[in-house]
Amino acid sequence: MARSDGGTNTVNKPFGLPRWLAAILPIALLALVIAGFFVATPFAGLQGSGAPLPDVSVTHHTIPNDDTIVLHVVNNGPEDVTISQVLVGDAYWNHQVMQGGEEVRTIGARESAQVVVPYHWNPGWDLETALVLNDGTTIHHTIVAPEQSPGVSGDVLWTLAIIGLFVGVIPVALGMLWFPFMQSMSDRALHAILAFSVGILVFLAFDAGFEAFEIAEQVPGAFEGQLLVVLGILGALLIVQAVTKWRSSETGTPSGLWIAYMVALGIGLHNLAEGLAIGSAFAIGRVSLGAFLVIGFMLHNVTEGPAVVAPVTRGSRPSLGHFMAMGALAGVPVIFGGWIGSFAFSPTLGALFLAIGVGAILQVVWEIGGLISRNGQLGSSLNLLGFLAGLVLMYATDLLVVL
Amino acid sequence: MPSHDYKTAGAMTKTLEERLVGALKGESIDRRTVLGGLGLAGAAGIAGFSNDVAAAGDHDDTKHHGNFGAVGEYSSTQFDPHEYLYQFNTGYDGQESVEQEVYFEGDQRVRRFELNAVDTEIEIAPGITFSAWAYNGQVPGPTLRVTEGDIIEVEFTNRGRHAHTIHPHVKNINPAMDGIPTNGPGVLETGESYTYRWKAQPCGVQFYHCHSLPLKEHIHRGLYGVIIVDPDPEQVRENPRDYINYDGPMTDDLVSQLVTKAESRNHEYDEGEDVNEMVMVMNGFDTNFDGDNEVYAANTRAFAYGVGDTDGKGNWEPGETKRPIQVDGQQLQRVYLVNAIEFDAINSFHTHSNFFDYYDHGTTLTPTLKTVDTVMQCQAQRGILEIDYSDHEPGLYMFHAHQSEFAELGWMSFFEVV
Repeated sequence: MARSDGGTNTVNKPFGLPRWLAAILPIALLALVIAGFFVATPFAGLQGSGAPLPDVSVTHHTIPNDDTIVLHVVNNGPEDVTISQVLVGDAYWNHQVMQGGEEVRTIGARESAQVVVPYHWNPGWDLETALVLNDGTTIHHTIVAPEQSPGVSGDVLWTLAIIGLFVGVIPVALGMLWFPFMQSMSDRALHAILAFSVGILVFLAFDAGFEAFEIAEQVPGAFEGQLLVVLGILGALLIVQAVTKWRSSETGTPSGLWIAYMVALGIGLHNLAEGLAIGSAFAIGRVSLGAFLVIGFMLHNVTEGPAVVAPVTRGSRPSLGHFMAMGALAGVPVIFGGWIGSFAFSPTLGALFLAIGVGAILQVVWEIGGLISRNGQLGSSLNLLGFLAGLVLMYATDLLVVL
Repeated sequence: MPSHDYKTAGAMTKTLEERLVGALKGESIDRRTVLGGLGLAGAAGIAGFSNDVAAAGDHDDTKHHGNFGAVGEYSSTQFDPHEYLYQFNTGYDGQESVEQEVYFEGDQRVRRFELNAVDTEIEIAPGITFSAWAYNGQVPGPTLRVTEGDIIEVEFTNRGRHAHTIHPHVKNINPAMDGIPTNGPGVLETGESYTYRWKAQPCGVQFYHCHSLPLKEHIHRGLYGVIIVDPDPEQVRENPRDYINYDGPMTDDLVSQLVTKAESRNHEYDEGEDVNEMVMVMNGFDTNFDGDNEVYAANTRAFAYGVGDTDGKGNWEPGETKRPIQVDGQQLQRVYLVNAIEFDAINSFHTHSNFFDYYDHGTTLTPTLKTVDTVMQCQAQRGILEIDYSDHEPGLYMFHAHQSEFAELGWMSFFEVV
């Protein structure tokens, strides 16, 4: 066996090593280097005495009753932090720092805790709070117009389910009722409707995308909120695309029904995020989102119905079961989102869900584009105007749900 | 025409008033009232939702509204604000941490002290430390107590990282001794020493602090302390007019009254024994470098003279490190009060349920304010308070800064009269 690296027999045994060893070798060497780095501490001379600065964030607050405020705190940093005192409205106030049911002062790296403050707040009057760490660092958190959080109960679950029904399921179902009318349309008009639904989806993608980046700013630093959103968007896009490709390699080009389901999924994920927004508003005591928001979301979501059914208006009509399934896929996530948002809200989760929704929507946009261009001309003036109409309508109905 | 002017003025006032009311109404309607009202109506309308789900349940009546105050006790034993109240360094006698002696140059008495500046960590609220620059490792620095006419000799050594000085608030006739960067030795770099000599004049409660630049930081970090110059009864007898803000006839009665007062304020006379004398330095600490103090205190530690643990209903226990100042109600209480606050223009001292006499800067032997319960001091202003609790029932009497913000951030205290 030739051992020279100029030879041709090194393919199976590079440098004469077995393949598995060649695969592992770089990793083993890296481990060695890292270990050596820790042992030798070559940067010790550069470090000085500068300890890392404490990095603590108040992710959100809950207000369980009219005498208590709870601040939810995460220690993002690599070092323990000690919460020594708490200020409410520029006054030292008594409080307890709770972690897993136990009273603590020090929070470990990447750990979270709740700061429970007995404080008789006034509904609607902003509260300035600050955690004072042992080195005097202050972590500020403003509770804007405090309202009581509903807490966990069957009542709340029921309320959120009802709201979800009104916000998600009913409008989408109503929108789907345009199906018979759309069936009677010419190809040109139908393509315009498809372009219109693309407009709606693109607008939703921007809407949810901006929202995701906004929430990402509240994500504790350790989780890299902005990059998490990027990962969520690209990840969802690529996974949905991979699934579609895998399916189309088995059944040929994606059927209209498959695309319709994909649209429903994308919209469903977006609506899950909508539900999260409603649920977390509940969790932080913004029960008052109420009527306006519900009506706004209803108008907004009714336009999602035609977007779902548009891909199946040609060819044989799917069975009613498919329609119900697609409606549920698009609408029911609002309810789940509401529940998740009210009981397990975290900015990290919120941003991630929104990002996944954006990714799924973008993939669907791509797919519908393909659907139109297979049967007609994608960039016709009617289609472009339909697309624009979708954007404009979304913008207009979005004005009704600005929080 | 006057009547016309009155009319105009009246109309103008009314307009302004209405505009103000309108503006205030608009503010609250804008976001809160409407949003809350609509929202509740909406939520209730849709689902019959009741928003007091979690409100019912645990109402702990004893702590219904919570209490202000710092949670926990102090853990550092480096400095005790209760000891500091009564720590006077006279050269004859004082803290172990301050090298001191008294010697004579002919007839002239010299009180000699050694002060040094160090960088240290101090605890300013339970669990909160502050990187301080401190004379002899304590904030405020050691209290120097001398008699007027003495020479105060301070051998100052800088053991800190930055350049420091000592600038005295006394009548000082030698510019080299002023302790500022441009005069005499200027600022002292790390390791350098200099001996300042100041004539102790005038009598009163005086102040010393570092005068290096940036000035704000050098003071705020803790380089300040108190010099008490006791009046000399002999000098008072000779020049009584120097000690009173009064131009009328100087009767023998008045002179002996002033001399008695001087004896009561002089630590070398027995008359002083009847008075409980305390030093309080009002200070604050900006812990997050935003130019605003997070902690306020009398003598550095927030709430150190508070009640310890209280339910806010009169039931309380003294803490290990946070407890009221116990005083004998039959003794006159004399507070040497100095305002060393930084970042706030003024500070104040307010007694509950009692009025006191106030001697601004302590340079007179008759009060500059009689029967007041609140005094205001600007930065570096100081004065002597004489408080009489002899006709009060035993118990807790609060005193604090009457900037309520300062009080709630730590400058809140109690005398416990026994």
